[in-house]
Amino acid sequence: MEKNFIIAGFGGQGVLLAGEVLANAFMMAGKNVTWYPCYGAEMRGGTVNCEIVMNDSEEVSAVNKKEADFVVALNQASVDRFVSKIKKGGWMIANSSLAKEIRTRADINYLFAPITKLAENVGNIKMTNILALGILAKVSKLVTLESLTEALDAVIPAHRKNLIPLNLKALKIGYEYDLLPV
Amino acid sequence: MAALTQTFKIPDSIKKGAKYSFCPGCDHGVAVRLVGEALDELGIRENTIAVASIGCSVTIYDFMEVDSLEAPHGRALAEATGVKRARPDKFVFTYQGDGDFASIGMAESLHTALRGEKVTAICINNTTYGMTGGQLGPTTLLGQVTTTSPTGRNIEYYGYPIKIAEHIALCDGTAYSARVSLDSVANIRKAKQVIKKAFEIQLQGLGFSFVEILSTCPTNWKMTPQQAHDRVRNQMMEVFKPGVYKDITADRN
Amino acid sequence: MTECLTKTGKKVLTKGNYAIANAAVIAGCQCYFGYPITPQSEIGEFMSGKMQELKRGYVSAESELGAINMVIGAVATGVKAMTSSSSCAISLMQEALSYAATDELPVVLVSVMRGGPGLGNIYPSQGDYNQATIGGGNGDYKLIVLAPSTVQECVDLTYKAFYLAQKYRNPTVLLADGMLGQMMEPVEFGEYPYPEIDNSDWALTGAKGRPSRVIRSYGPLADDRCVFLNKLFEKYKTIEENETEWEEFNTDDADIILVSFGGPSRNVKSAMKECRRQGLRVGMFRPVTLYPFPSKRLNELAGITKKFLVVEVNMGQMVRDVRLAVNGKVPVELFNKPVGSPPEVDDIVNEVKRQIKE
Repeated sequence: MEKNFIIAGFGGQGVLLAGEVLANAFMMAGKNVTWYPCYGAEMRGGTVNCEIVMNDSEEVSAVNKKEADFVVALNQASVDRFVSKIKKGGWMIANSSLAKEIRTRADINYLFAPITKLAENVGNIKMTNILALGILAKVSKLVTLESLTEALDAVIPAHRKNLIPLNLKALKIGYEYDLLPV
Repeated sequence: MAALTQTFKIPDSIKKGAKYSFCPGCDHGVAVRLVGEALDELGIRENTIAVASIGCSVTIYDFMEVDSLEAPHGRALAEATGVKRARPDKFVFTYQGDGDFASIGMAESLHTALRGEKVTAICINNTTYGMTGGQLGPTTLLGQVTTTSPTGRNIEYYGYPIKIAEHIALCDGTAYSARVSLDSVANIRKAKQVIKKAFEIQLQGLGFSFVEILSTCPTNWKMTPQQAHDRVRNQMMEVFKPGVYKDITADRN
Repeated sequence: MTECLTKTGKKVLTKGNYAIANAAVIAGCQCYFGYPITPQSEIGEFMSGKMQELKRGYVSAESELGAINMVIGAVATGVKAMTSSSSCAISLMQEALSYAATDELPVVLVSVMRGGPGLGNIYPSQGDYNQATIGGGNGDYKLIVLAPSTVQECVDLTYKAFYLAQKYRNPTVLLADGMLGQMMEPVEFGEYPYPEIDNSDWALTGAKGRPSRVIRSYGPLADDRCVFLNKLFEKYKTIEENETEWEEFNTDDADIILVSFGGPSRNVKSAMKECRRQGLRVGMFRPVTLYPFPSKRLNELAGITKKFLVVEVNMGQMVRDVRLAVNGKVPVELFNKPVGSPPEVDDIVNEVKRQIKE
């Protein structure tokens, strides 16, 4: 089984880092995984995004796929850009703090959550990305909180280890966010 | 009868039986010999790696009994940097012409000096591209006729010649920069001391050391060796004044 | 973002560029010289910290000309050294590569391809296949060229590049692309798996207790030059016989064989699998060494299959080598994308179907 994820937002929202944590979590769970960013000029202004492809049986072959199983969009521009790239039956997880709750497609699932607001409640707006991962873990059922916790420890550099408890709190709040799709 | 003492010989750093392929009256031969004598006197021949450049100076490896590497045109100091960074314990020098050092290799030369790379560059300045037949180079004097300045170097088309030793002295990484001439026995003796000093600076690990040697090119200047040396004295030394332009050890002495 | 990998016993998730740099450190690369260019700047960034930490050689060179010639200087003394760059900047290094090949020096060059020609752009590309395999330097010479397709292979082939460079005293290119350089995958570094090669009979270390040595390319006498070049090409023949490497899948019964190298070969592999799922007899062939090119095997396969379809992200470069190998036995067609991410799997599948019908 192969599944792919796009995480997108504006610069500073920690999009690439969230992708790196997710990819690490898959690796730690023994799955094949590839992380692929947009980079360079593409990143100057506008949205930043990365794609994570997970395969639990064979090596990941193609990246930069036409369609994604899951899109996590942290701002309006990302919702607009990627909503058409979601597979039928796939998921749009959108940050309603920065995007309007408008459902333009009937053949995909939407989850709108005020991710930025929730991160502020946790105590640091920079936790937006990790909180979103918590939501993604619950929705996708493809990655566990344990793997994500382990991944956070691997990705956060030594001099920032003091931020781990806050990250774990954000992860948990995301995971427990009441997420029944409408 | 008193025992005989040898007071003059071919330096060990010069290949046995080597025959110079330089033109008669060219100062390259004297310069190579001085480098050889300096290596001998400092006892560093066996620990030396030389980097040759392109032009008449490339053939130095045919005459010197030291390990040598040949660099593409202008890249001698980049290769010397690579040698020195890989083997910091080795003595490393380049032997280049003015075209190699100050035209095509200017970026490498300046940056090696700015990095304070612990190598020595010997640059032969004969105001022309010798091997290719006497074209205008970076040091060609104003008014000088060459095959590519048929009516003499004018400012309008060619701009000005570069004073290399003065420019290199401006670099903070340069520990020693000097210009010498080989036009007379007295100046040859001075040149030897300057080359030796430049080598010692490297051995002391003080930074980049540089010697510009004013040299003849009788063939391309279309002069006799005597006339050529007169030209060095009367025309080149007027513009390119011999002297020590930087010596960071001078204040300590 | 600085990573400090060096040796790790377990799998780590890392970018292709960091994987290459860290593998070079493990392979015993003593000196790195470089000049920044996207999409490979992470290699120089990593090396700047790592080499200083390990008290090895590092220079932020004044230019790519400086960088590649510093590598020549370092390897001439018998140590392992490398530089890395991309496309338009590799163009600047062609003169030095010609010297290094002629001087028989074990230079390792990492080329992370971006879009060309000229300044082009920083999107992934395979536009420098010709630059690496044919080269832009003067005279007759060959560079060994290795093309990874995964981040793990970036590690494995970096090790191999250092080994082959030493073994044959020949400049060796690791030809990656912007996609591989920027993507992250789990990798295992392990130990440098090759033996060290004795270079005490040629390296410049100072003429102590032996005659002096000269490493030179200047050969003023025509007859001597003929002897030298014939000998050089004998070496290339040995390399071709011993080091040609490729991967092939489902070629035994294939009606059509897809040929692709590097990062984009991953999409081609997916397309091949999809075709098989749909009951089409499609095979795949991936050269790992671009020089030596697996011409002999491709020629054999031309006796089995009905057609080759070469998939490349350029205007069609490797396709010429495939055509030379196949030598007219069966058609060799091209499906290319000029620049950017590899062709989509669906598009390749559709092209295969179209080619089968023709």
